[in-house]
Amino acid sequence: MEALENLLEEKKIQDHEADISEELDLSYVDKIVQETGTGSELTIPILQAIQEHYRYLPQSALERVCELTEITPTQIIGVSTFYSQFRHHPMGKHLISLCDGTACHVKGAITMYDAIRDHLEMEGDDDTDSDGTFTIQKVACLGCCTLAPVMQIDGVTYGHLTTDIIPDVLRDFLELQKKKSKEQGARKSGVETDMGEIRITLDSCCVANGCGKVHNALAQALMDTDAPAKLKRVACVNMCYQTPMVEIVDTGGKSNLYARVQPEDARDLILKHFKPKNLFKRAKTAISRSIDSILTDEVWKPVSRYSVGIRDPQVAEFLGTQKHIATENWGDINPTKIEEYLEHEGFEALKKCLLEMSPEDVIQGVQDSGLRGRGGAGFPTGLKWSMVSKVKGDVKYIICNGDEGDPGAFMDRMLLESYPYRVIEGIIIAAYAVGANRGYIYVRSEYPAAVQRVKEALKQCKEKGFLGDNILDSGFGLDLKIMQGAGAFVCGEETALLASIEGQRGMPRLRPPYPAQSGLWGKPTLVNNVETYSLVPWIIRNGSEEFSEIGTQESKGTKVFALAGKVNRGGLIEVPMGVSIREIVEEIGGGIADGRKFKAVQIGGPSGGCIPASLAHTPVDYQALKEVGAIMGSGGMVVLDDSDCMVEIARYFLEFTQDQSCGKCTFCRVGTRRMLESLTRLCNGEGKKGDIEELEQLAHMVQKGSLCGLGKTAPNPVLSTLKYFREEYGAHIEGRCPAGNCKALIKYYITDDCIGCTKCAQGCPADAIHMKPYEKHEIDDEKCTRCDACRQVCPSDAVKIE
Amino acid sequence: MVKLTIDGQRVEVDSGTTILDAAHKIGIGIPALCYRAGCDPSTSCMVCVVNVSGKLLPSCATLVQEDMVVESETAEVHEARQAALELLLSDHIGDCIAPCHRSCPADMNIPLMIRQISSGKIRDAIVPVKNDIALPAVLGRICPAPCEKACRRGSYDEGVAICLLKRFAADVDLVSETPYIPECKPDTGKTVAIIGAGPAGLSAAYYLAQYGYKCVIFDEHEKPGGMLRYGVPEDKLPHKVLDMEIEIIRELGAEMVMNKKIDEEALENLRKEYDAVLISTGGNKEGIASLFKVSRSTLQTEEKDVFIAGNAVGRNSKMAVRSVSDGKLAAKSIAQYLSGSMVTGAEKPFTTNIGKLNEGEIHSFMKGVSDSPRYKPTEIADAQRHGGKQSSLFSPPLRASYFDIFPDKQTGFSPQEAVAESNRCLHCDCRKADNCKLRDYSNIYDASSRKYKGDGKTFDQYFHPADTQDSSVEPYVIYEPGKCIKCGLCVQITTKAREPLGLTFVGRGFDVKIGVPFNRRIDEGLRKVAEECVEACPTGALAFK
Repeated sequence: MEALENLLEEKKIQDHEADISEELDLSYVDKIVQETGTGSELTIPILQAIQEHYRYLPQSALERVCELTEITPTQIIGVSTFYSQFRHHPMGKHLISLCDGTACHVKGAITMYDAIRDHLEMEGDDDTDSDGTFTIQKVACLGCCTLAPVMQIDGVTYGHLTTDIIPDVLRDFLELQKKKSKEQGARKSGVETDMGEIRITLDSCCVANGCGKVHNALAQALMDTDAPAKLKRVACVNMCYQTPMVEIVDTGGKSNLYARVQPEDARDLILKHFKPKNLFKRAKTAISRSIDSILTDEVWKPVSRYSVGIRDPQVAEFLGTQKHIATENWGDINPTKIEEYLEHEGFEALKKCLLEMSPEDVIQGVQDSGLRGRGGAGFPTGLKWSMVSKVKGDVKYIICNGDEGDPGAFMDRMLLESYPYRVIEGIIIAAYAVGANRGYIYVRSEYPAAVQRVKEALKQCKEKGFLGDNILDSGFGLDLKIMQGAGAFVCGEETALLASIEGQRGMPRLRPPYPAQSGLWGKPTLVNNVETYSLVPWIIRNGSEEFSEIGTQESKGTKVFALAGKVNRGGLIEVPMGVSIREIVEEIGGGIADGRKFKAVQIGGPSGGCIPASLAHTPVDYQALKEVGAIMGSGGMVVLDDSDCMVEIARYFLEFTQDQSCGKCTFCRVGTRRMLESLTRLCNGEGKKGDIEELEQLAHMVQKGSLCGLGKTAPNPVLSTLKYFREEYGAHIEGRCPAGNCKALIKYYITDDCIGCTKCAQGCPADAIHMKPYEKHEIDDEKCTRCDACRQVCPSDAVKIE
Repeated sequence: MVKLTIDGQRVEVDSGTTILDAAHKIGIGIPALCYRAGCDPSTSCMVCVVNVSGKLLPSCATLVQEDMVVESETAEVHEARQAALELLLSDHIGDCIAPCHRSCPADMNIPLMIRQISSGKIRDAIVPVKNDIALPAVLGRICPAPCEKACRRGSYDEGVAICLLKRFAADVDLVSETPYIPECKPDTGKTVAIIGAGPAGLSAAYYLAQYGYKCVIFDEHEKPGGMLRYGVPEDKLPHKVLDMEIEIIRELGAEMVMNKKIDEEALENLRKEYDAVLISTGGNKEGIASLFKVSRSTLQTEEKDVFIAGNAVGRNSKMAVRSVSDGKLAAKSIAQYLSGSMVTGAEKPFTTNIGKLNEGEIHSFMKGVSDSPRYKPTEIADAQRHGGKQSSLFSPPLRASYFDIFPDKQTGFSPQEAVAESNRCLHCDCRKADNCKLRDYSNIYDASSRKYKGDGKTFDQYFHPADTQDSSVEPYVIYEPGKCIKCGLCVQITTKAREPLGLTFVGRGFDVKIGVPFNRRIDEGLRKVAEECVEACPTGALAFK
């Protein structure tokens, strides 16, 4: 009977929604269609516009779209249910996107997810709280791995979450909303002088870490004090663990770098380095802020606490072994200003190509450099270009694949946010080389800042004549557009990406034919990754030889990695090929955090594998990584310590790929699901003898039989952990989790170190700890949900896991 | 033109041809569920994989290349095909054959009989019955009916009264002017001696006659029937019924020699005189059957011409249906032996089964099914039972003597009751059980439906009109998502036909489903090409109701 009631309930909800939609004003749909167009390839942008307006996709709106455009009901439903971005039910006022990328996952994302749901009293399959304020969703990766665990509420990012601050975060967000509506329109622009410069990074991860607030505080302080300095946003400085980071170049040109700056430090920082222009301002400032005493030494104290010099040995080391090509001019230029890019040899390479080199020369140069695709597979870039250039065709397309979906990778986001012009320059050069006159930069929708900066950069390029019908009077033209993804990891696969641009479900197809022969709308198409394009201008400017001198025999140049996980210093790094994993972890990353033991490095995300600490001498090299069971991948590098369970890590990746499978072929659609179920049983202590062998056999089947790269590589995390950590799998069958990670196989207990502070009892959401002030506390194992809250709050480290 | 090698054979085809088409051209069959001529390759099922230079590739989409070497029958390829099928099966919810059918010792197609009754084709109902049971009127009175205990309807209220329906179908046939006589193959000229005229012996004679063998049944009693006559009280099984069914076996050509006991010596003589001998003397431990060792799967003994059936194999079953079933199997084995083929025993075709239902699932099965409680035969005046227009259910009309022939007439269904009871059947067997590529290939590649354990789907079915039991309504499409393998052929067909709504993929990955846009009904999505979609669907996901 229950099922019947459920059905009735569902029906009621549908009727209710139908009622709502009848009342909907659909004129906006007409407006969108009028602005966007009526072609069937516009399905995704139209759906995105509808969702932005109505906050979900009302059925009546979709039916209206079908009336107005060439889009069919089949297509609109097929597409809108394929991409995770689209919602078919109304959602709460604010959307919480909790990142479950690798870095966040190993730092307890699921515990946070449960804690938020608990706090908002969501039950069962609810994703929205009862008063419709918040809707929660897990997202693949927000690309802020160094802030893990992290979540985004609407546009605001919160990092370093712990279960006990969840209520504060939600409160903070709601207060911020209130303030925002009051402040709107009240702000004036900052002081414009060229006397000094205050530089602050403003990429989304830095913004998440508080850079936005610091930026606003600095702007406000500049206005208040009228100090002779200008505030400037710069590209990512790649030291995520130090953000918010502020560099102050004083009137004498001396640079001072401050790390982990707080908004309340802004005024003090400015007053330290710049004298306000007139005493009146100073006096006014003094009056308005009673706690300040003008220009006395007392104010310096809180500031100096955060100050670090660039010569600080740790930081120098962090930067020292790196080589900046894709990230050239890091921290030096304003990413959105084309003038600054031009001042730093921007578009020099393009000019050289268009005016001095034939397309063949360009291709030869790239071929000679030994550059290989940075998207994962490592196909020789020059060879790909020459294939596309040789195919005859009136129309050729060029595509920049920025659908960076690996949980634990955010290089492309950073490159697009910080160096949009460099990426675009690389694309134009490639387009010239292969003879493509139309193209798309495909950026995942989870990266709104990247989308916005690329849009801005495209506009500027058109204005300056770097894009258009006749670039630099060379006769060569390129029409380059941006296309936003809609939340589908599989669209990183190039044939799926093409389907997505064509407005279809992002389903891969069998290759050959390769896009070089038959790509977008059946035309020859060049698809390269963001990082690949970003290396091209440097190669042209500095010569193939210089590039090929960097790296190993098979792998030339540099590779950008997103270093995250259990290292002391996470962040974005660009290293020459050939450096060892150990150098990266220990020298650049500063070793393992919290004094734990280095266990493994996960490289290549869900398609990659785990390299054990014992093989840390493995160099960063396509072949060497493949030999040990990992792949170069797109550059996610997550460091794991002895508290990370390898079975759980494998399960995590399978959960990801399984969820992201397009569902086309049997091996991937069903096979990855069955593998996931098997791994879940292992983690739950329900594994049986023979399960490991069956899992391994199925993994090989899925690897051999799947249609596209996603399925073929999905078993890698399982196979590589089976290879190096098989005994850990065996332990799970015996009911043990050696890393103390799998909830069903562990127990929390309190040691004699307990000081009786009661914090654990207060924080326990399951009432499993009885409050006993000044006495040793105990955990009721029956009630304990292994949420880890007690261990996190314990000031004396008395909560242990066995 | 492109030249390539498939399984060692050279073939020349146009460039642009797929490996699958090239293989078919030279008579190499490659299995494929999602392939359909005229549609784009779906590369979905992956059962069509072949080995090309060490890689497994879907042959339905891979184009031939000069000097390509394709292997389609290696152990690796077979293993991959089996794995693909097993993965699909792990996500496939349906009963190829219904639980009643599966639990019937005689393997009778019960749902088909019930549907014939339900749709008023009452005379036709006897065909599936007699296909597997030689004495249905007899069994309809005494069978303990394991089928009814297995019936899915039991998880809603009570199982369908299968046994009484079978009795009804058989009784109607017996009293008709022309009782059903199966078609017999021409006489082979070979002869079989059957020792014992009990349920096994009679059943064997019934089927052997159809295969074209002359049978002589020897029995020590005065009349044939064995335990059916001498072991079952007559109030349960009137001799009249038994005699009428035996009479049909006689009509088929079986000869009966009564009052004749066969001892060891007589047996040896029979072996010389007849091409084969079947011992079906019941469960007597000292009988002649104890001289032989019998294979329980083929019922053949180590003496190739001697077969044993029924309780004589060394058991003591009270279920006559098992003996009847044995007789049928023995007939098949004897026919195989006499025609010089391999004696294979009973075929066990591949089937999937849902097993125990999850909570609430039964309600999906109940869609469009009568929810009346199980009918019981009532004592209604004879005139009422066959008077008025109800008798038009019968063609040719029943003889007026219908209810007088059987002394136990009050314990059987009236036609109205039979039809009403038959409407309680859930039709839980697959509508395309005999036309399912998934089942066919699972048979060929020896796939197991239980290899991969996983979270099962929930059974559901959609059709419109959902509430009619009127069989005169045009056949309409029924959609069972649990059987869908997501090949997308129906999506392609409806898109090509420019169906106003059509079918589409809904969702992504493991949870992807086929559905009609905007949650509309299945018939609204299939206005133009329902027939083509049903025909193209490789499983029972789309079928006609």
